Amino acid sequence: MSDLFRPSRRVLLEALVLVLVAASAGLSLNYTLVMKAFTGRNVVIVPQASKSTVESQFPLPVDYEEIDNLLTEGHLLVDARDPHIFAEAHLPGAISLPLGEVDLLFEAFTARYPKETPLIIYCNGFGCPDSFDLGVRLIAEGYPKVQVYEGGFPEWRDRGRLLESGEAQ
Amino acid sequence: MTRGLYHFCRLLLAGVFIYAGYLKGSEPVAFAGQVAAYQVLPYAFNYLVAATLPFVELLCGVLLLINQKVRPALLVLFGLNTVFMIALVSLLLRGLDIDCGCFHPAGEEGSGTSPQMALLRDLGLMIVIFVTWVLRLQLTREPTDG
Repeated sequence: MSDLFRPSRRVLLEALVLVLVAASAGLSLNYTLVMKAFTGRNVVIVPQASKSTVESQFPLPVDYEEIDNLLTEGHLLVDARDPHIFAEAHLPGAISLPLGEVDLLFEAFTARYPKETPLIIYCNGFGCPDSFDLGVRLIAEGYPKVQVYEGGFPEWRDRGRLLESGEAQ
Repeated sequence: MTRGLYHFCRLLLAGVFIYAGYLKGSEPVAFAGQVAAYQVLPYAFNYLVAATLPFVELLCGVLLLINQKVRPALLVLFGLNTVFMIALVSLLLRGLDIDCGCFHPAGEEGSGTSPQMALLRDLGLMIVIFVTWVLRLQLTREPTDG
Protein backbone atom coordinates (compact mmCIF):
# COMPACT_ATOMS: atom_id res chain seq x y z
CA MET A 1 0.00 0.00 0.00
CA SER A 2 2.76 2.42 0.94
CA ASP A 3 4.30 2.23 -2.51
CA LEU A 4 1.04 3.63 -3.83
CA PHE A 5 2.07 7.01 -2.47
CA ARG A 6 5.74 6.88 -3.30
CA PRO A 7 6.42 8.46 -6.66
CA SER A 8 9.02 6.76 -8.79
CA ARG A 9 12.20 8.54 -9.78
CA ARG A 10 10.86 8.93 -13.27
CA VAL A 11 7.70 10.66 -12.06
CA LEU A 12 9.77 12.98 -9.87
CA LEU A 13 11.98 13.83 -12.80
CA GLU A 14 9.03 14.48 -15.07
CA ALA A 15 7.44 16.68 -12.42
CA LEU A 16 10.65 18.68 -12.23
CA VAL A 17 10.76 19.08 -16.00
CA LEU A 18 7.11 20.12 -15.96
CA VAL A 19 7.80 22.87 -13.43
CA LEU A 20 10.87 24.07 -15.30
CA VAL A 21 9.07 24.21 -18.63
CA ALA A 22 6.06 26.05 -17.22
CA ALA A 23 8.21 28.44 -15.20
CA SER A 24 10.38 29.23 -18.22
CA ALA A 25 7.29 29.91 -20.31
CA GLY A 26 5.93 32.20 -17.60
CA LEU A 27 9.26 33.96 -17.21
CA SER A 28 9.69 34.58 -20.90
CA LEU A 29 6.15 35.91 -21.22
CA ASN A 30 6.53 38.17 -18.18
CA TYR A 31 10.20 38.95 -18.65
CA THR A 32 9.78 42.72 -18.60
CA LEU A 33 7.63 42.66 -15.52
CA VAL A 34 10.06 40.54 -13.53
CA MET A 35 13.09 42.50 -14.69
CA LYS A 36 11.41 45.73 -13.68
CA ALA A 37 10.58 44.36 -10.27
CA PHE A 38 14.14 43.16 -9.70
CA THR A 39 16.03 46.11 -11.10
CA GLY A 40 13.80 49.12 -11.26
CA ARG A 41 12.82 49.45 -7.63
CA ASN A 42 13.12 53.15 -7.34
CA VAL A 43 12.98 54.30 -10.89
CA VAL A 44 9.80 54.72 -12.80
CA ILE A 45 10.43 55.24 -16.45
CA VAL A 46 7.17 55.45 -18.26
CA PRO A 47 6.99 56.87 -21.72
CA GLN A 48 4.04 59.01 -22.69
CA ALA A 49 0.98 56.86 -22.46
CA SER A 50 -0.03 55.42 -25.76
CA LYS A 51 -3.21 53.41 -25.98
CA SER A 52 -1.58 50.17 -27.04
CA THR A 53 0.84 49.97 -24.15
CA VAL A 54 -1.24 51.45 -21.37
CA GLU A 55 -2.16 48.06 -20.00
CA SER A 56 1.41 47.02 -19.43
CA GLN A 57 2.32 50.15 -17.54
CA PHE A 58 2.18 49.87 -13.82
CA PRO A 59 3.57 51.80 -10.89
CA LEU A 60 6.67 50.50 -9.20
CA PRO A 61 6.92 49.91 -5.49
CA VAL A 62 8.66 51.98 -2.89
CA ASP A 63 9.82 50.64 0.48
CA TYR A 64 9.09 52.17 3.85
CA GLU A 65 12.79 53.02 4.25
CA GLU A 66 12.73 55.18 1.14
CA ILE A 67 9.60 57.15 1.93
CA ASP A 68 11.15 59.85 4.11
CA ASN A 69 13.83 60.67 1.54
CA LEU A 70 11.31 60.86 -1.26
CA LEU A 71 9.04 63.13 0.77
CA THR A 72 11.87 65.57 1.40
CA GLU A 73 12.51 65.52 -2.33
CA GLY A 74 8.97 66.74 -2.85
CA HIS A 75 6.99 63.58 -3.59
CA LEU A 76 3.31 63.85 -2.88
CA LEU A 77 1.53 61.18 -0.83
CA VAL A 78 -1.80 60.11 -2.29
CA ASP A 79 -4.29 58.14 -0.18
CA ALA A 80 -6.43 55.79 -2.28
CA ARG A 81 -8.72 54.68 0.57
CA ASP A 82 -12.30 55.71 1.20
CA PRO A 83 -12.69 59.32 2.33
CA HIS A 84 -14.22 58.48 5.71
CA ILE A 85 -11.26 56.22 6.55
CA PHE A 86 -8.94 58.97 5.33
CA ALA A 87 -10.65 61.40 7.70
CA GLU A 88 -10.04 59.11 10.67
CA ALA A 89 -6.30 58.96 10.10
CA HIS A 90 -3.83 59.24 7.25
CA LEU A 91 -0.15 59.77 6.60
CA PRO A 92 0.98 63.35 7.25
CA GLY A 93 0.61 65.57 4.24
CA ALA A 94 -1.28 62.98 2.22
CA ILE A 95 -4.05 64.08 -0.07
CA SER A 96 -7.16 61.98 -0.59
CA LEU A 97 -7.95 60.50 -3.98
CA PRO A 98 -10.18 57.48 -3.34
CA LEU A 99 -10.17 54.99 -6.16
CA GLY A 100 -13.95 54.78 -5.95
CA GLU A 101 -14.34 58.51 -6.63
CA VAL A 102 -11.49 59.11 -9.00
CA ASP A 103 -13.77 60.01 -11.91
CA LEU A 104 -15.41 62.77 -9.86
CA LEU A 105 -12.26 64.15 -8.33
CA PHE A 106 -9.79 63.76 -11.15
CA GLU A 107 -10.33 67.15 -12.75
CA ALA A 108 -9.73 68.99 -9.50
CA PHE A 109 -6.69 66.80 -8.89
CA THR A 110 -5.05 67.60 -12.23
CA ALA A 111 -5.83 71.28 -11.81
CA ARG A 112 -4.00 71.30 -8.51
CA TYR A 113 -1.14 68.92 -9.19
CA PRO A 114 0.76 69.21 -12.48
CA LYS A 115 1.57 66.05 -14.41
CA GLU A 116 5.22 66.11 -13.45
CA THR A 117 4.41 65.87 -9.73
CA PRO A 118 6.04 62.72 -8.34
CA LEU A 119 3.37 60.69 -6.56
CA ILE A 120 3.50 57.99 -3.91
CA ILE A 121 0.19 56.18 -3.62
CA TYR A 122 -0.80 54.05 -0.66
CA CYS A 123 -3.87 52.35 0.69
CA ASN A 124 -4.56 49.73 3.30
CA GLY A 125 -1.36 47.73 3.10
CA PHE A 126 -0.29 44.66 1.23
CA GLY A 127 -3.76 43.19 0.84
CA CYS A 128 -5.14 46.29 -0.81
CA PRO A 129 -4.92 46.59 -4.59
CA ASP A 130 -6.43 50.08 -4.75
CA SER A 131 -3.10 51.90 -4.71
CA PHE A 132 -1.91 49.76 -7.63
CA ASP A 133 -5.09 50.35 -9.57
CA LEU A 134 -5.02 54.07 -8.89
CA GLY A 135 -1.37 54.14 -9.93
CA VAL A 136 -2.14 52.43 -13.22
CA ARG A 137 -4.95 54.91 -13.80
CA LEU A 138 -2.78 57.94 -13.04
CA ILE A 139 0.00 56.70 -15.31
CA ALA A 140 -2.54 56.22 -18.08
CA GLU A 141 -3.79 59.76 -17.45
CA GLY A 142 -0.29 61.07 -18.06
CA TYR A 143 1.39 61.20 -14.66
CA PRO A 144 4.75 59.60 -15.41
CA LYS A 145 6.19 59.53 -11.88
CA VAL A 146 3.98 57.23 -9.89
CA GLN A 147 5.08 54.83 -7.19
CA VAL A 148 3.17 52.66 -4.77
CA TYR A 149 3.93 52.34 -1.08
CA GLU A 150 2.67 48.84 -0.50
CA GLY A 151 3.07 48.66 3.26
CA GLY A 152 0.68 51.56 3.22
CA PHE A 153 -1.28 52.85 6.17
CA PRO A 154 -0.94 49.75 8.40
CA GLU A 155 2.85 49.62 8.15
CA TRP A 156 3.20 53.34 8.81
CA ARG A 157 0.90 53.10 11.83
CA ASP A 158 2.54 49.95 13.19
CA ARG A 159 5.93 51.61 13.06
CA GLY A 160 4.55 54.21 15.40
CA ARG A 161 4.81 57.04 12.93
CA LEU A 162 2.87 60.24 13.16
CA LEU A 163 -0.61 60.24 11.67
CA GLU A 164 -2.95 63.07 10.81
CA SER A 165 -6.71 63.14 10.92
CA GLY A 166 -9.31 65.31 9.29
CA GLU A 167 -11.39 65.53 6.15
CA ALA A 168 -9.82 65.93 2.74
CA GLN A 169 -9.71 69.53 1.59
CA MET B 1 -16.79 2.76 -11.51
CA THR B 2 -13.14 3.35 -10.66
CA ARG B 3 -12.56 4.59 -14.15
CA GLY B 4 -15.48 7.00 -13.98
CA LEU B 5 -14.38 8.39 -10.63
CA TYR B 6 -10.83 8.76 -11.89
CA HIS B 7 -11.92 10.76 -14.92
CA PHE B 8 -14.25 12.88 -12.81
CA CYS B 9 -11.47 13.77 -10.34
CA ARG B 10 -8.98 14.35 -13.13
CA LEU B 11 -11.29 16.71 -14.99
CA LEU B 12 -12.30 18.48 -11.79
CA LEU B 13 -8.67 19.21 -10.97
CA ALA B 14 -7.99 20.20 -14.56
CA GLY B 15 -10.87 22.68 -14.47
CA VAL B 16 -9.90 24.17 -11.13
CA PHE B 17 -6.25 24.67 -12.00
CA ILE B 18 -6.74 25.86 -15.56
CA TYR B 19 -9.24 28.40 -14.25
CA ALA B 20 -7.00 29.48 -11.37
CA GLY B 21 -3.94 29.64 -13.61
CA TYR B 22 -5.77 31.64 -16.24
CA LEU B 23 -7.12 34.16 -13.70
CA LYS B 24 -3.73 34.74 -12.14
CA GLY B 25 -1.78 34.52 -15.36
CA SER B 26 -3.86 37.13 -17.11
CA GLU B 27 -3.24 39.69 -14.37
CA PRO B 28 0.26 39.09 -13.08
CA VAL B 29 0.54 42.49 -11.43
CA ALA B 30 -2.67 42.04 -9.46
CA PHE B 31 -1.59 38.54 -8.52
CA ALA B 32 1.81 39.82 -7.38
CA GLY B 33 -0.09 42.17 -5.08
CA GLN B 34 -1.98 39.26 -3.64
CA VAL B 35 1.20 37.28 -3.10
CA ALA B 36 2.77 40.32 -1.46
CA ALA B 37 -0.16 40.40 0.96
CA TYR B 38 1.21 37.25 2.58
CA GLN B 39 4.38 39.16 3.46
CA VAL B 40 6.60 36.10 3.20
CA LEU B 41 8.73 36.98 0.17
CA PRO B 42 11.06 39.88 -0.54
CA TYR B 43 9.29 42.33 -2.79
CA ALA B 44 10.61 41.43 -6.24
CA PHE B 45 10.13 37.71 -5.61
CA ASN B 46 6.39 38.25 -5.48
CA TYR B 47 6.67 39.14 -9.15
CA LEU B 48 8.76 36.07 -9.86
CA VAL B 49 6.05 33.91 -8.31
CA ALA B 50 3.32 35.82 -10.12
CA ALA B 51 5.14 35.36 -13.42
CA THR B 52 5.71 31.61 -13.10
CA LEU B 53 3.18 30.00 -10.76
CA PRO B 54 0.09 30.48 -12.96
CA PHE B 55 1.85 28.75 -15.85
CA VAL B 56 2.75 25.78 -13.70
CA GLU B 57 -0.91 25.52 -12.69
CA LEU B 58 -2.01 25.88 -16.29
CA LEU B 59 0.35 23.24 -17.61
CA CYS B 60 -0.65 20.78 -14.88
CA GLY B 61 -4.30 21.49 -15.62
CA VAL B 62 -3.84 20.93 -19.33
CA LEU B 63 -1.93 17.67 -18.78
CA LEU B 64 -4.73 16.43 -16.54
CA LEU B 65 -7.27 17.49 -19.13
CA ILE B 66 -5.60 15.53 -21.93
CA ASN B 67 -4.80 12.65 -19.57
CA GLN B 68 -1.08 12.76 -20.22
CA LYS B 69 1.72 12.75 -17.63
CA VAL B 70 -0.94 12.65 -14.97
CA ARG B 71 1.25 11.51 -12.10
CA PRO B 72 3.95 14.19 -12.54
CA ALA B 73 1.19 16.79 -12.83
CA LEU B 74 -0.48 15.51 -9.67
CA LEU B 75 2.82 15.51 -7.87
CA VAL B 76 3.46 19.13 -8.78
CA LEU B 77 -0.06 20.14 -7.76
CA PHE B 78 0.44 18.30 -4.48
CA GLY B 79 3.60 20.33 -3.90
CA LEU B 80 1.92 23.62 -4.82
CA ASN B 81 -1.07 22.91 -2.66
CA THR B 82 1.18 22.07 0.27
CA VAL B 83 2.92 25.43 -0.12
CA PHE B 84 -0.43 27.23 -0.36
CA MET B 85 -1.65 25.57 2.80
CA ILE B 86 1.53 26.40 4.71
CA ALA B 87 1.18 30.02 3.59
CA LEU B 88 -2.44 30.13 4.70
CA VAL B 89 -1.63 28.62 8.09
CA SER B 90 1.17 31.14 8.56
CA LEU B 91 -1.31 33.86 7.67
CA LEU B 92 -3.70 32.63 10.35
CA LEU B 93 -0.94 32.25 12.92
CA ARG B 94 0.31 35.76 12.30
CA GLY B 95 -3.21 37.09 12.49
CA LEU B 96 -2.76 39.00 9.25
CA ASP B 97 -5.95 40.38 7.86
CA ILE B 98 -5.72 40.12 4.10
CA ASP B 99 -9.18 41.52 3.61
CA CYS B 100 -8.87 45.23 3.18
CA GLY B 101 -12.35 46.55 2.58
CA CYS B 102 -11.05 48.22 -0.53
CA PHE B 103 -13.01 49.53 -3.46
CA HIS B 104 -11.93 46.60 -5.57
CA PRO B 105 -11.97 43.15 -4.10
CA ALA B 106 -8.54 41.55 -4.31
CA GLY B 107 -8.65 39.93 -7.70
CA GLU B 108 -11.43 38.21 -9.54
CA GLU B 109 -12.17 35.72 -6.84
CA GLY B 110 -13.25 38.52 -4.59
CA SER B 111 -12.07 39.35 -1.12
CA GLY B 112 -14.80 37.18 0.35
CA THR B 113 -12.59 34.12 0.71
CA SER B 114 -11.28 34.07 4.26
CA PRO B 115 -8.03 32.23 4.99
CA GLN B 116 -10.07 29.58 6.80
CA MET B 117 -12.27 28.99 3.77
CA ALA B 118 -9.26 28.92 1.47
CA LEU B 119 -7.60 26.38 3.73
CA LEU B 120 -10.70 24.21 3.64
CA ARG B 121 -10.82 24.48 -0.15
CA ASP B 122 -7.17 23.49 -0.43
CA LEU B 123 -7.77 20.56 1.89
CA GLY B 124 -10.57 19.43 -0.40
CA LEU B 125 -8.31 19.75 -3.44
CA MET B 126 -5.63 17.78 -1.62
CA ILE B 127 -8.07 14.92 -1.09
CA VAL B 128 -9.05 14.97 -4.77
CA ILE B 129 -5.35 14.94 -5.73
CA PHE B 130 -4.76 11.91 -3.51
CA VAL B 131 -7.79 10.07 -4.83
CA THR B 132 -6.79 10.74 -8.43
CA TRP B 133 -3.25 9.55 -7.73
CA VAL B 134 -4.39 6.27 -6.21
CA LEU B 135 -7.01 5.61 -8.90
CA ARG B 136 -4.50 6.33 -11.63
CA LEU B 137 -2.11 3.78 -10.17
CA GLN B 138 -4.83 1.18 -9.85
CA LEU B 139 -5.99 1.75 -13.39
CA THR B 140 -2.53 1.53 -14.89
CA ARG B 141 -1.68 -1.60 -12.93
CA GLU B 142 -4.81 -3.63 -13.48
CA PRO B 143 -4.77 -4.40 -17.16
CA THR B 144 -1.05 -4.93 -17.77
CA ASP B 145 0.25 -6.33 -14.52
CA GLY B 146 2.72 -3.38 -14.59
